[in-house]
Amino acid sequence: MKKFSIVLLIVLVGAALLSACQPQTVVETVVVEKEGKTVVETVEVEKEVNKTLVFSSRLFSPPREQEFFINEIIKPFEEEHGVTVNFQIIDDQTLLDRAEVQQTTNHITTDIVVAHNSRMPEWIDAGWVEDLTDLVASWDDRTFSTAFSQDTDKDGHQYFLPVGADVYLLLANNKALPYLPDGVDLDAITWDQYADWAVAIAEGEGEGKVCITGIPAKSWIYMFGGTGLSYGAGFPDANSEGAMEAWKVWEKIGKANGFVPSVLNIDSCVDPMMREESWLTVFHNARAGQVYSSNETAFTLAPAPSGPNGIGSIAGVSGYAIMKGAPNYDLAVAFLEYLTRPDIQVKLAKGTGGFIPPVEEAINYLGDEAIDEVINKAVLVLNNGVVSGVPAGNYQDWGAVKKCFDDVFADTILPGLDVTQERLDTAQACVDDLLK
Amino acid sequence: MSEKIKKPFKLSRLIRKTIFYLFIVTLAVVIILPVFFLVSLSFLSTREAYLYPLPLLPSLKARYSLTYGERGYLLSVYDDFNKEYQTVLDTNDFEKMSVYMHSQIGTPFSIPEIEEVIKDLESGPEDTVYFSARKDLLYNYDTFFKVTREAVPALLRSLQIAGMTILISLSIGGLAGYAFARYIFAGRDALKFSVLFVRMFPGVAIALPMVIILANMGFYDRPIGLSLVYSVGSISLTIWITASIFIGIPESLEEAAQVFGATKVQSFLRVTLPLALPGLAAAAMYAFLGAWNETVSAIILTQFNPTFSVVVYQTLLGSVGQVNLAAAGGLVMALPSVFFTFFIRKYIQQMWGGVTI
Amino acid sequence: MTAASPAKRFRDLGSKAVPYLLILPVVVYYFLFWLRPVLKTLIDSFRTAAGGFTFQNYIMVFTDPNFMPALRNTAIIVVFSVSLEFIAALFLALLINRKFFGSSLFLFVAMIPMALPAVAVGAMWLTGLTAHGWMNSLLYYLNIIAESHKIYWLTGSEWKLLALIIVVDAWQVIPSVMIILLAGLQNIPEETIEAGYVFGGDYLTVLRKITVPLLGPTIQTAVILRLISAIQIWLIIVLLVGFSRMPVLVERIVYYHEEVPGLDISFQMASGYTIIVSLIVSTAALLYLRASGAFGSKKEAAR
Repeated sequence: MKKFSIVLLIVLVGAALLSACQPQTVVETVVVEKEGKTVVETVEVEKEVNKTLVFSSRLFSPPREQEFFINEIIKPFEEEHGVTVNFQIIDDQTLLDRAEVQQTTNHITTDIVVAHNSRMPEWIDAGWVEDLTDLVASWDDRTFSTAFSQDTDKDGHQYFLPVGADVYLLLANNKALPYLPDGVDLDAITWDQYADWAVAIAEGEGEGKVCITGIPAKSWIYMFGGTGLSYGAGFPDANSEGAMEAWKVWEKIGKANGFVPSVLNIDSCVDPMMREESWLTVFHNARAGQVYSSNETAFTLAPAPSGPNGIGSIAGVSGYAIMKGAPNYDLAVAFLEYLTRPDIQVKLAKGTGGFIPPVEEAINYLGDEAIDEVINKAVLVLNNGVVSGVPAGNYQDWGAVKKCFDDVFADTILPGLDVTQERLDTAQACVDDLLK
Repeated sequence: MSEKIKKPFKLSRLIRKTIFYLFIVTLAVVIILPVFFLVSLSFLSTREAYLYPLPLLPSLKARYSLTYGERGYLLSVYDDFNKEYQTVLDTNDFEKMSVYMHSQIGTPFSIPEIEEVIKDLESGPEDTVYFSARKDLLYNYDTFFKVTREAVPALLRSLQIAGMTILISLSIGGLAGYAFARYIFAGRDALKFSVLFVRMFPGVAIALPMVIILANMGFYDRPIGLSLVYSVGSISLTIWITASIFIGIPESLEEAAQVFGATKVQSFLRVTLPLALPGLAAAAMYAFLGAWNETVSAIILTQFNPTFSVVVYQTLLGSVGQVNLAAAGGLVMALPSVFFTFFIRKYIQQMWGGVTI
Repeated sequence: MTAASPAKRFRDLGSKAVPYLLILPVVVYYFLFWLRPVLKTLIDSFRTAAGGFTFQNYIMVFTDPNFMPALRNTAIIVVFSVSLEFIAALFLALLINRKFFGSSLFLFVAMIPMALPAVAVGAMWLTGLTAHGWMNSLLYYLNIIAESHKIYWLTGSEWKLLALIIVVDAWQVIPSVMIILLAGLQNIPEETIEAGYVFGGDYLTVLRKITVPLLGPTIQTAVILRLISAIQIWLIIVLLVGFSRMPVLVERIVYYHEEVPGLDISFQMASGYTIIVSLIVSTAALLYLRASGAFGSKKEAAR
């Protein structure tokens, strides 16, 4: 035993030394000083064996989506062109940081980036992405939705090709349907009716079944934001007249103990909905699609509830762009042409749980499967709803803004207290203090 | 007379022993229970992982029924707990059905096999057919490595980091440990206390300024950088442990060797070191545990070259609705650590027996 | 004794230098990779965002509405976890030290929790403590609770949550305290204990009068190490309830560094909290060492 453990150890240390000696990718470290902050970046310098397209994306981060994207979307392209696509998941901020280093050192390694629409202006203003206007004009089989063109375009030039749009949808466990108030059409449900429904479930079951994310800095701000927009509030808006009416909807649910008891421990409604701990929620269409497709026959999906001003929803989109000076520009163009074909967009939307394919022709490829229903309803909300983006860039820290709303939920809505104008004014002051 | 006394005595001993072992087993079960559920979870299919009550063990196969539905064919899965078939899918798309059966229920079932079942349904007299499929138990583990393309290089990187941490902390810490064990010198207590003092500064707080320091040295986002940071913590442990080990080896052995003409260094290398080796190996495994399991500093100090713990952590974050996948990743990570504790337990006395702060 | 030759004096000096030479690498290492980042944080804690000298950062930390709750929660957790874990660990160590058949295997089982990475522990408790998780499932299978009456582990009063965190944390930490105590127990010669019994002591008397006093330095080691790490608890809390709901001191550092790094005050808050935490930890450690008489017994412990 003693000998064995020693041999094992020697092997381990030996392996460490060996691997340290192996020729690896050369890594250069660059320290960039900017605005007093120090940004550290390493740049991988790889020896090219065969052509590798570097594709860095903020989208498709859940493992199931990654698996689908790699196996069903990338693989056919790799086989057709005899190349390798290096697919990495990187968040928006890191993508920008990395681009900055690559551009300032003039050492470009990334070919395609996928960024969120709230960050697109930063990319375009910095001049780090290629102008794709002529390319888009040369494709006559697809028309990109213009819903997000204020972000994807600048001065009549298009830089980003939209992909994977999202809005908020209502998802209900079928066990909740018997409690639906009489005469309510689920596809045209209002927030008032939603609140009544939630109250009825809580009374009938003896415990609340509505899910929101109670862990701070998750998605409650968006869930409430949708209600606010339905009543004519802005976003983020905690204390306007419309916002007050929206808070009253949630107040009603809170007073009836309508939230799942464990609501303060929820960071995503996917798990509680799948475990059937909660029965009712309004959330992100791709996550709603994920739960829905785990058991289509147990769940019902509808557009988000509406208010006097229509169906309010926070909406977002991601976009493909080619990095300025991309080493494999032609290959990147070929890959984008392939990715934005309407049939591929639909395949991608279905496979990843229900993101909206933002090309008009996509509708032709939708069938009558359950997932098509998710996409159909999401398109409905996107086209007819009162949608707003996320102005995260205007604030010092968006997570801190979220917390201003989370606190109202935790100290007023959940305990069943009256929502007062003073409380809301405090919340709004909390938000405004964070403006840049 | 003596026999008469002995018999009941033996019986009560037996009872006491039984109670003792019952107690031990209960205790062991309580300790191991959460781990058992984690292991079980890592083998459950996604559907099973979200059932309530949660199945205690993964099923080895799934029983299905297929009938006509609104959209096409209605698929149901047998629920062992409620003893009934529960509908899951209503579709005309065989590929979708096949993917669903594999990814959600964990049973690989090809499209031709589905067509076979459909043929049975359409030609048979009943409007429902029953069939079953074998479960792919390793599906979560398979998916974990498939989805996280980073997993294998990250695993190698983590091994490399752990190896270098062992080298650094054992060589530097071992020397100091030997000094504390064998010599009495001015400032010894103060030095010993400062070793303890190093542990009082939060590790997370060290990692942040280290980003710049390592970057200036060219070690940022490289395994060597992380092992340098991990060694700060593990050196202090190594000092105490190695000091304890060397105290346990009589100095007279070294002196004896010197009588026979060996120098001090020779006597250390030939006599003390071989005796200390098993204990040192255990100390190394201790350093391994620290470096292998650490996540928070690794998130801060890596960027494109994450460690295995970072990869697993990100999978956990990204796997809403797939907690079984996160469990599989976490267990892959726990495996080497648990393996090493199996050896460490033999050397506890040597390692900690002589430690004084 | 009288006039030592210069050569011998030189040799003496050389051998006196040996321990310092052996310790030198550690000192250099700590200087490079510990003192530098620590000094940087210390300096930062006295700097304004613009770079000037200020006490403002500390004032900001002390007036932070989360500071007192964080301090209080940390104190409660430390007091209860250190004492609870010590008792449980001593109990386990005494048990294993009886060297019954299978004790080695039991030791391995008892050590498993300390080998698990935080990620695995997080996944384990998250799936266990949710209302439809394995804890309630198990209770249900054992007929302890009915299907409709679930226990909501993570909801309710702050005290309940604190208690839960202490227990969950103890599950993972007890083994590392236990093995130190076990090593100390194994060092006590069996004859000493037997002598106690020969003179008529029962188990508890022997434990109180002989075993625990002999274990003194070991207990010191175990408690001081645990004390230092208990004050720095944060990860398990964040894994279970997220940031800000149950503030503790180190959680505040990570919160400002990782959760809201964009705030104008984040950097100052984080460095202020870091220095305050370090001061609290070292004060607590010194107080404990003094109270437990570690400084007095140093000479004899140094053999």
